[in-house]
Amino acid sequence: MNAVALADPVPDARAAPVAKRRSWLKLLFGTPLNALLTIIFGMAIARMSVWLVDWAIINAAFFPAEPASCQAAQGACWSFVIAKHSQILFGIYPPEERWRPALVCLLLIGLLIYSVRPASWGPRLFGLWVAAIVAVFVLMLGGVPGLTFVPTALWGGLPITLILTVVAIGAAFPLAIMLALARRSKLPAVSALSVLFIETTRALPLLSILFIASIMLPLLLPEALLPDKFFRALLALLLFAAAYMAEVVRGGLQALPKGQSEAAEALGLSYWQRQRLIILPQAITIVIPALTNTIIVMIKNTSLVLVVGLFDLVSSGKAALADPSWSSPAAETYLFIAAIYFILCFGFGRFADSLERRRKVSR
Amino acid sequence: MAPNIGPRGAPVREPVNVRAIAIQAGAVTAALCAVGLVVLTTLGNLTARGIPIGFDFLSGRAGFTISESLISYSPNDSNLWAILAGVGNTVAASLLVIVISTVTGTLLGIARLSTNPLVSALARVWVETARNTPLLLLLLFIYTIWWSLPADSANQLVPGVYASMRGLAVPWFDAAWSPGTAVLLVALVIALLAVAATAATIVGRRTGRRPPYLRLAAGGAAIIVMLAFLATGGTLDRPRQVGTSLQGGATLTPETATLLLGLVFYTTGFIAEIVRSGINAVPRGQWEAARALGLSSGKILRLIILPQMMRVIVPPMTSQYINVVKNSTLALAIGYSDLMVVMGTVINKTSRAVEGTAIIIAAYLLINLTLSAMMNLYNRRVMIRER
Repeated sequence: MNAVALADPVPDARAAPVAKRRSWLKLLFGTPLNALLTIIFGMAIARMSVWLVDWAIINAAFFPAEPASCQAAQGACWSFVIAKHSQILFGIYPPEERWRPALVCLLLIGLLIYSVRPASWGPRLFGLWVAAIVAVFVLMLGGVPGLTFVPTALWGGLPITLILTVVAIGAAFPLAIMLALARRSKLPAVSALSVLFIETTRALPLLSILFIASIMLPLLLPEALLPDKFFRALLALLLFAAAYMAEVVRGGLQALPKGQSEAAEALGLSYWQRQRLIILPQAITIVIPALTNTIIVMIKNTSLVLVVGLFDLVSSGKAALADPSWSSPAAETYLFIAAIYFILCFGFGRFADSLERRRKVSR
Repeated sequence: MAPNIGPRGAPVREPVNVRAIAIQAGAVTAALCAVGLVVLTTLGNLTARGIPIGFDFLSGRAGFTISESLISYSPNDSNLWAILAGVGNTVAASLLVIVISTVTGTLLGIARLSTNPLVSALARVWVETARNTPLLLLLLFIYTIWWSLPADSANQLVPGVYASMRGLAVPWFDAAWSPGTAVLLVALVIALLAVAATAATIVGRRTGRRPPYLRLAAGGAAIIVMLAFLATGGTLDRPRQVGTSLQGGATLTPETATLLLGLVFYTTGFIAEIVRSGINAVPRGQWEAARALGLSSGKILRLIILPQMMRVIVPPMTSQYINVVKNSTLALAIGYSDLMVVMGTVINKTSRAVEGTAIIIAAYLLINLTLSAMMNLYNRRVMIRER
């Protein structure tokens, strides 16, 4: 391990304990090892970036967004992404109605950003979310005066990713709390049932759960009750998220000192009063950073609905690539989609970090 | 639960909590009813569609091809053998990814803490890419790269490793020993390890300190195998370009290579973060105190730092390893025949969805529980021993 430039674990004994601001030159070339690393990696980075700039900008095709411009270009074919961006983002949703999913995406992302501020947490936020979900489904489905009906089979792209994430997490959260409380219950049968559900779900790959939901539900349920593909996938994601979030919430419950529960009991509060007023508010505040991580994982996981035939962002990208008049620039399309995921997940990750830092400061 | 002790020490019977019993009875009944309802509807639906129930289909002829399999398989084998081939592929891919990513992830985690801004920034880019983009997208992206490679000639990536449309050619050991020698060697190694383990236990019981015989024996066994390999004329077979084709070495199909590369890249990013948090979890004072005691750097690392790091690292590593097994199911998207792909085909061909689902659940539970049991065993060794 010493061979690699670790932060020097033993500071100079005589150095004053003041944070030194070391110059870049010193950081890059301070020791022979660092100088060697800088030269090796610097050359690699330089070569890579030259190649990347060549491919992605200088030799790339942007406009006009036609197949011909791509065939002429040596590098990346961004004109495909420019021409097909609407199909990649919204799938096979009727083109003349695409303002609706666009509005849904803006609404959901806007509300997510708004909910991220701790100042806006409260009962009003919950109401806003319920209203937003109703608005999302009305906008997407239509069927009300002024909006034509669009079945879920035609939904696709970014709205599917966002709706699945938000609705699955939102609906899974109360279920997760119940599962976590049940797992810590003193009643052996209740906790055993909860453990059975949580551990089985966590041991199974999400793909197999989606697969089971799509092939087993038609056998399990009478024809009339059978939900369509979209809601089957939603159900699978919901149960999956509930099992993972239950473990996160349980972590928060375990982190609380026992005295909290005992003091509440001494005050004569009933079990549910204790949980609602004393335990859960504290436990959930502790695990909010961890819950944010679960949301990131779920955003990424929604890409798996591809295997049950839903047109999320990844599969609508794949569908757009099937157009024979283009030379199917797959790498460019996947990079575009990856960029969307990266912005969503990275943004959320930074939020989790800032929460963590604030919590450390407030202690 | 210990019986309550009364003031005079006589056991007092715990009062019967009617409410607790009622709640539990209610929960169990509700769960049983839900399961019963599902079973009844399923049975009804199955008989209505004329699908029989039972595991007899396992002995039937599989009749489909598996592009690559660790254990030898042909379409004439039974469904059960096909499923086992799928399990073998899943386990092989997962184990390979776990071993490689543990090494690369540790290096990346250390690089992330480097004082050199260039190194730590590059490591950060890797970690953030892995953490913030879906694995499925990563696999699809890598898979497209194979199809942009030339079909007739191969690119030499590093000496001895070639990439072409037909896959990735890597150097591989070409053993010249007979099957008998191999069996003899395996038996010898097992015997050596068993003797060392027993001796260590006996000495350990007598002196109270377990000597590291097992580690010595493992090292000895490795040397013996290597010597035998060389003595019988075994060589490292490197792929060579002969005309337009590659000869020698081992060739991974594009599907296998994509799955391994993608999973290793992704898992490495996550393991790097675990290792980084493990290194950060050991306070600087530990280094300083150990140095004040006059320990050498190697001893400090081995006796003071690593044991404390492992305590922090092992539990999240366990869930990361299980994630690898679960993530390997994404092989479906690129066409590597893992357990889920094989099961999907079997279910499609036999329409035994219920039994197939039961096998999927049982197989993944078995693999993941074995893995976590092994890691928990290890965790018990590195855990803090409290009085």
